[in-house]
Amino acid sequence: MEQSILLFLLYADICLIIGFYMYIRKMRKLIGFHLGMNMSMVMGGMAALLFGIMLITHMPFHFTYITLLSAIIGGAVGAWFGLLIDYQTFVTGLTNGLIVGLMAPMIGTVLEMQMLFVWFLHAFFIGSLGVLFISIKRA
Amino acid sequence: MLLIILLFMWCVGEILINYRVVRKKRLLFEDRFTKTICMAIASISSFATALYFELLLPEDQIATYLLPVLLGVFIGWQFGSLIKAPASLNGLYNGVIGGVMGMMLGAVLKNPALCNIPLDSNSMIASNLFTITIFIAFSHSLVCFFIRRSMRG
Repeated sequence: MEQSILLFLLYADICLIIGFYMYIRKMRKLIGFHLGMNMSMVMGGMAALLFGIMLITHMPFHFTYITLLSAIIGGAVGAWFGLLIDYQTFVTGLTNGLIVGLMAPMIGTVLEMQMLFVWFLHAFFIGSLGVLFISIKRA
Repeated sequence: MLLIILLFMWCVGEILINYRVVRKKRLLFEDRFTKTICMAIASISSFATALYFELLLPEDQIATYLLPVLLGVFIGWQFGSLIKAPASLNGLYNGVIGGVMGMMLGAVLKNPALCNIPLDSNSMIASNLFTITIFIAFSHSLVCFFIRRSMRG
């Protein structure tokens, strides 16, 4: 049961990230570089954190590959969101995603109550998406 | 160990090349570019250097846990103080973060039982260590390449 909930949450995260990317691509004329820099940092770091912790909870015996995979995913998502604005947001998002992605599976292995932490992390993710949404609306 | 020494020399070479390029062009920067450069370069360089230092030093002495963090602080301070005073604070902060994180990752790679990671045989620990260090060297040179490329234009 837990494993299927984890896979469903992973799928929902991928859909949320892609949907938010589409929304920002439509609104990118309104976004200045300051908000763009914060946006690429938040999205790269959150994607790396979510993927690292959920993959290490799902498959606890593959620490090496999950570290590499979550670092690559975090850097790629940060770079992908940063490329919408300009070159410097791209460098910022790439670096932040890489650093957070190297650290995330280590947090996942020391946890005691993993499902509770995963749910808390999703509440945090939805909250940060809401804050970004409000600040895009006001910009 | 020979591989880690080679990767360490590669990393120091990258940092010195970047330092020279930034020093040569430091009068051309604006504020935002300064912030981006300091953040990217200080965090990833001090992360990689602290990781290699932690892996190369012998275990369980006070220098093993103190020296990588001090090295991270030093790298961040050097890169920050090249340019302007507010950038010095930014570089110092990111250097401290990178140094502490690199020390933590190095300690976990040397002894995976610290984090309840189920790797117990010596050969698996060694292969894990080499894969992750090679990946970090690759990502460090990728970020350095992007930074040098941004200064060319």
